[in-house]
Amino acid sequence: MATILHAVVGYFLLLIIVRVLARRAGSQMTLFDFVLVFLMGGIIILSTVGNDRSVTNCTCAVIAVALLHRATSWAKSKSPRIGAILDGTPLTIIKNGEWQQEVLRGMKLRPEDIEAAARSANVTRMQDIDYAILERNGRISIFPREDA
Amino acid sequence: MAEQSATSSIGDSVPKVGEVAVGEDLEFQRRWWQFERAIWTFFLLVLLADLLGLFGRGWLAKAKRTDSAQTVTLDYERIERASTPSIMTFHFKPAAIRNGRIALYVSEDLIKSLGAQRISPQPLTSAMGDNGILYTFPVTTTPATAEIELEPSFPGPHHFRVQVSGGQSIDASVFVVP
Repeated sequence: MATILHAVVGYFLLLIIVRVLARRAGSQMTLFDFVLVFLMGGIIILSTVGNDRSVTNCTCAVIAVALLHRATSWAKSKSPRIGAILDGTPLTIIKNGEWQQEVLRGMKLRPEDIEAAARSANVTRMQDIDYAILERNGRISIFPREDA
Repeated sequence: MAEQSATSSIGDSVPKVGEVAVGEDLEFQRRWWQFERAIWTFFLLVLLADLLGLFGRGWLAKAKRTDSAQTVTLDYERIERASTPSIMTFHFKPAAIRNGRIALYVSEDLIKSLGAQRISPQPLTSAMGDNGILYTFPVTTTPATAEIELEPSFPGPHHFRVQVSGGQSIDASVFVVP
């Protein structure tokens, strides 16, 4: 019982902390980000299973987290608002070639992040970018100018 | 529905920015940034409270009580953490010694609710009764101290009573955080 309760608290605590951290893509995940993933995961495990490290207890904790994850996925599919809260919404970084400073500041993005995405889209000059969109998964989509 | 999604243009259902269908909701994002600022402030306050000992193991958590007859001073933590060991220390005064012995009564709550694990030094005798345990220690000189290691299992407020023979009882509470 306590394990399941701890797993629920741990899941939502990690969810909110990861959500309020700046959005970064898996493909852009650096060693710096991996430190967070492993350290926070390890710490939550300690309080979730406590002193009971039996297979039964760990299995129950894993099942509880899996069910929670499925429930939140279901809630996201039913409600766009919950989806926006849990995953955020796409954000326009460059619109018609103009940098959206509010988004850059708010998402703590660096021009280097957009430059890296531009290189992936075979765009070599920043002025050739028409639109740059920060997707919900953290990937940056680049739309080059038609005349580029 | 799936067929409709497969054949309809993305731009038909997703909010556009210029000519690109993005699904952006900048108003929501602005509110979210405000929420982020609030939650980070809250996190900082949590850390500050933790440093001060509001969740145990710190300055605010430490407590000291002396009975009115000046036989014993009790050092304990008024805020403890579940499943985490801590030490409760009894500092006995000369008035506590009777016939070369100190008799210390601790209520059952201290043993069960607060999870007393062991007592040091080993008492000469332990006698149950009166909803608690009476420990007897042989003593040669003061200051003398005894320690009880606690490891509470359940969160919430827990009340306990201790008393040295010839002194007044000390009633205190410990709040155990999860």
